Amino acid sequence: MNNTNPVPPPIPIVASSTPVRAPLGESPDEREPIPNAVVTVEAILRQPRRVMYQLCRPGSGRLVGGMLFIVILCSLVYGVVVGSFSMGAQLWAAPLKITGGLLLSSIICLPSLYIFTCLSGSRARLVEICGLVGGLLALMSIMLVGFAPVAWLFSQSTESLVWMGALHLVFWIIATCFGLRFLVSGFSHSQARSTAGLSTWIIMFVLVSLQMTTALRPIIGKSDAFLPKDRKLFLSYWGDCLNSPQAAAQHESTPPK
Amino acid sequence: MQAEVTRTPVNDIRLLLIGEPGFVRSWIAGGELNRLGFCGVVILLGAGSYGAAMGYWRAPLQGLFVAIKLPLILILTTFGNALLNAMLAPLLGLNISFRQTCLAILMSFTIASAILGSFSPLAAFVIWNSPAMTADFHISGRTYSLIQLTHVAVIAFAGIVANLRLIQLLRQLSGSIVIARRVLIGWLAGNLFLGSQLSWILRPFIGAPNLPIEFLRASAFQGNFYESLFHSLARVLNVN
Repeated sequence: MNNTNPVPPPIPIVASSTPVRAPLGESPDEREPIPNAVVTVEAILRQPRRVMYQLCRPGSGRLVGGMLFIVILCSLVYGVVVGSFSMGAQLWAAPLKITGGLLLSSIICLPSLYIFTCLSGSRARLVEICGLVGGLLALMSIMLVGFAPVAWLFSQSTESLVWMGALHLVFWIIATCFGLRFLVSGFSHSQARSTAGLSTWIIMFVLVSLQMTTALRPIIGKSDAFLPKDRKLFLSYWGDCLNSPQAAAQHESTPPK
Repeated sequence: MQAEVTRTPVNDIRLLLIGEPGFVRSWIAGGELNRLGFCGVVILLGAGSYGAAMGYWRAPLQGLFVAIKLPLILILTTFGNALLNAMLAPLLGLNISFRQTCLAILMSFTIASAILGSFSPLAAFVIWNSPAMTADFHISGRTYSLIQLTHVAVIAFAGIVANLRLIQLLRQLSGSIVIARRVLIGWLAGNLFLGSQLSWILRPFIGAPNLPIEFLRASAFQGNFYESLFHSLARVLNVN
């Protein structure tokens, strides 16, 4: 008699290609409190879900404060590197403008993010939204510090303002993409029915941040005035920079940026 | 992320914006003095701050004037049409009281004002980055169009969201989308008719560099919005 089992072996269950979004705090690691700024930096980079979970807990204001501290510190450091291209007054002006610009952009856009969040049916509280924006800025500024050595190296080896401007813009775009990924991920846990509002807000935030670089110019190059006297849209300003032959040649002779 | 529902003004605005059915329904039931006060504050602050940003392009004083005028239009439209709207509702199939009508319309204006308020830093930033509007400065058509389009987009967005929430409330109250739509259209028609004329009387809002800064134009009560619209149309079509 044949003793083989007529029932075929079970087909192994293949994990679905669509990731299932586990609720926050499911893993014990995510429930670990975040006691200080160093742990916050590590958590933002390695365990973003832990940050998101802690933002929903009572007393998350301290975490938001910690993230703001990181933003200020990191953007000041990156600002010094940006200012090292022109040296002189730009060594203190550039950090001040980058930190101020980053914070100002988020303050301008924060109320509309809260409104969009509410309209999308999300249950997130104001402090959670502030925390998500804090996380976005913190991740952006941490990444910019990561790019700082590269930026410094280039700033010491080139005279071209346009080139340096483009390089910092690329770094900013990469940092912003990662920061926004954190924000979108946090938003996905807020029971929102739609992400259309968030997408609109992201466009607004990017435009405001880009305009801020023009509103607070010069950030990389030198100028007699701390802030520009004339007002321009960033696209027309960038066009002017690209069309000006001096801009690419020598940063000393180019007033704005 | 979980919400802890505690009654604070920020939470109330949040629930209104979400369109939480229970909260919205309770909105027009009882506690009208508290509700009126809440609406008044949100309209004054929200529409006021947006108005300040709008008028600031011409001059700070113009900003102050528009900060007063924009909330005034919303409040005057609500109370100017209160009686008409309260009559229209039962006639169009929704049996609610005068008080409930006022609160429902105020709710929609409160939502619009909260949205306007949230966009006021953005509007102020756009204006701050634009060339100042002074008598000796030529404003390019592109700048003027950008500012105008920003205002139109923000105000339209606020208005659309407010009316979407209003129709949700009307649907809950009537139990029928047909009645809710009918009442909303009736109310909208009346409010737009009065609101346009109020805006005409209370002009200028953005202002013009060659005209003085003033709360009301000397010709505020001469002509009306629809007459002006008719004349503009006639000019476009070359009709004498």
